Amino acid sequence: MLFNIISISLGAILINNFIFSQFLGCCPFLGCSNKTDTAFGMGVAVVFVMGMASAICWLIDTYILVPLGLAFLETLAFILIIAALVQLVEMFLKKSVPSLYSALGIYLPLITTNCAVLGVVLLNVQNHYNFIESVVYGITGGIGFLLAIVLFASVRERVEFSEYPECFEGFPICLVSAALVALAFMGFSGMKVF
Amino acid sequence: MNINKQFKEGLITNNPVLVQQIGMCATMAITTSLFNGLGMGLSVLIILTCCNVVVSLIRKIIPEEIRLAIFVVVIAGFVTIVDLLLKAFIPALSEALGVFIPLIVVNCIIIGRAEAFCQKNTVGASFFDGIFQGLGYTCVLLVMSIVRELLGKGTFGGGLIDVTEGFRFTMDGSGSGISIFSGEYGAKVLTMPFGGFLTLGILIAVMQYALKKSAKRKELAAKADDEEEEVEE
Amino acid sequence: MKKVLKLTVVLFLICAIVAAVLGEVNAVTIGPITAREREKTEKAYKAVLPYADSFTAVDPAQFEAYKSTIDKISTADNGAGHVVETTFSGAQGSITMAVGVDSDGRCAGISIIKHSETSGLGEVAASASERGVSFRKSFIGKDETITIQDIDAITGATITSKAVTGAVATAIEAVKALG
Repeated sequence: MLFNIISISLGAILINNFIFSQFLGCCPFLGCSNKTDTAFGMGVAVVFVMGMASAICWLIDTYILVPLGLAFLETLAFILIIAALVQLVEMFLKKSVPSLYSALGIYLPLITTNCAVLGVVLLNVQNHYNFIESVVYGITGGIGFLLAIVLFASVRERVEFSEYPECFEGFPICLVSAALVALAFMGFSGMKVF
Repeated sequence: MNINKQFKEGLITNNPVLVQQIGMCATMAITTSLFNGLGMGLSVLIILTCCNVVVSLIRKIIPEEIRLAIFVVVIAGFVTIVDLLLKAFIPALSEALGVFIPLIVVNCIIIGRAEAFCQKNTVGASFFDGIFQGLGYTCVLLVMSIVRELLGKGTFGGGLIDVTEGFRFTMDGSGSGISIFSGEYGAKVLTMPFGGFLTLGILIAVMQYALKKSAKRKELAAKADDEEEEVEE
Repeated sequence: MKKVLKLTVVLFLICAIVAAVLGEVNAVTIGPITAREREKTEKAYKAVLPYADSFTAVDPAQFEAYKSTIDKISTADNGAGHVVETTFSGAQGSITMAVGVDSDGRCAGISIIKHSETSGLGEVAASASERGVSFRKSFIGKDETITIQDIDAITGATITSKAVTGAVATAIEAVKALG
């Protein structure tokens, strides 16, 4: 069990990193990585929502959808759960932890359309993970996202000072530098846990 | 409604991936063979067109406050229909695209079009918008897959075309494609995530270059016109 | 309050309509999907355990110790052996593979069901090419002491070859542990 959890965690953070090897969550990854601070805020919000979403969706899928033979409604149910969850978390934080809300607040609505969140929930179902494995996969997948976005934000801060062809202005240069970071992450593939 | 203008917007000047820069996850993830690229592109095209039509049909009866929730439900409905149909009738495609089919739900192209276009326009206009934006998306996927497959594996049309027993199209993704050069000399790294980021980056750069150039040319032409007018005066 | 009620009713109605439509579509597609899945597993199983006819799944409690990599073990009803479905990490992600184990506890064949290995390198292990077939054939007749020296490993794909070898050894061990 413990080995299993370690291997899931390392897999989600490094070997099959959500962004650099599975391409989940690229839009916020490229959109919110201008500065290291914002990147960190976004990353933390994602870890939080991915963990919660994995737990709740697993419960709903296992105890409601599958027993009723409604597995075909999974996509629909999951996206509604994620949207509602993000709203609830936002309201809760606003009322009870205003300091955290002011730090994460602006990122929360963006998370609904982050495909890493819906992706992790669907992958949990696809991989037949149990409850603990699902939650671990959700949280560590989020940590992988956090790691990727913070690393990439610091790369981008350096890119600002370098010279590149004019037509690469903006998005293209980001993608090219992301490609190089992805190349670095390829070094983890082939790492085997136990 | 001006269909020509919509066509040009969807494919070039307001292309969803190259200009609006949305819906990139799938663009980079699945474009490793022509079969995947074409399958994904057509799935998005179908879903986008259906959603556009439905959203513009119901745009007047849905309450403003919950419109986004309703859009999401409609989109998720169509995505699930396509997902189930693919699983049942083209299983090879469903396997190759995997989790990226259900993830079309959170593809910003669809909700973006619903919010920005269909809410304000007639059913007919929304229908054409869906088709042209979908075509624009499909074209990008096709270009990406052709480039990555050719340079990465040295083949063209992998999964879709089979030439071992004469030329034929394979719908089950089994065709090995037309071999242009031996796969041993391919830059395999292009079929990996690195290649996804790099190819899209260069593609957008080329697009920006072309758009900028045409804008400059227009500017010059306008300036020339002005000067002529001045001379006439 | 009245407004909230109205919004809830509208949203609920739309959800209900969508769910009903999906139910109809599901009713149409569920037949082909299950038939295809069954056909596919049967085909994959028979490819790795040629003399088997039909299969019965083994209770997962019997291979609890191997649960981290082994998804499913099925016994051939005519006593030809077992088929083990196993998922393990390869060079680029997880690999799902069916391993046939005959009644003497020797590998009867392997078939890679799903993988995301590097095209042209690790991918060869699963491909229909001559090289891939000879790689998979080299596992036949081996027992759980198999190492990478015993097989026709793929050049440039040592990690994939090692991972597959390890998984075959584990699968045979798990079958032997069933008793």
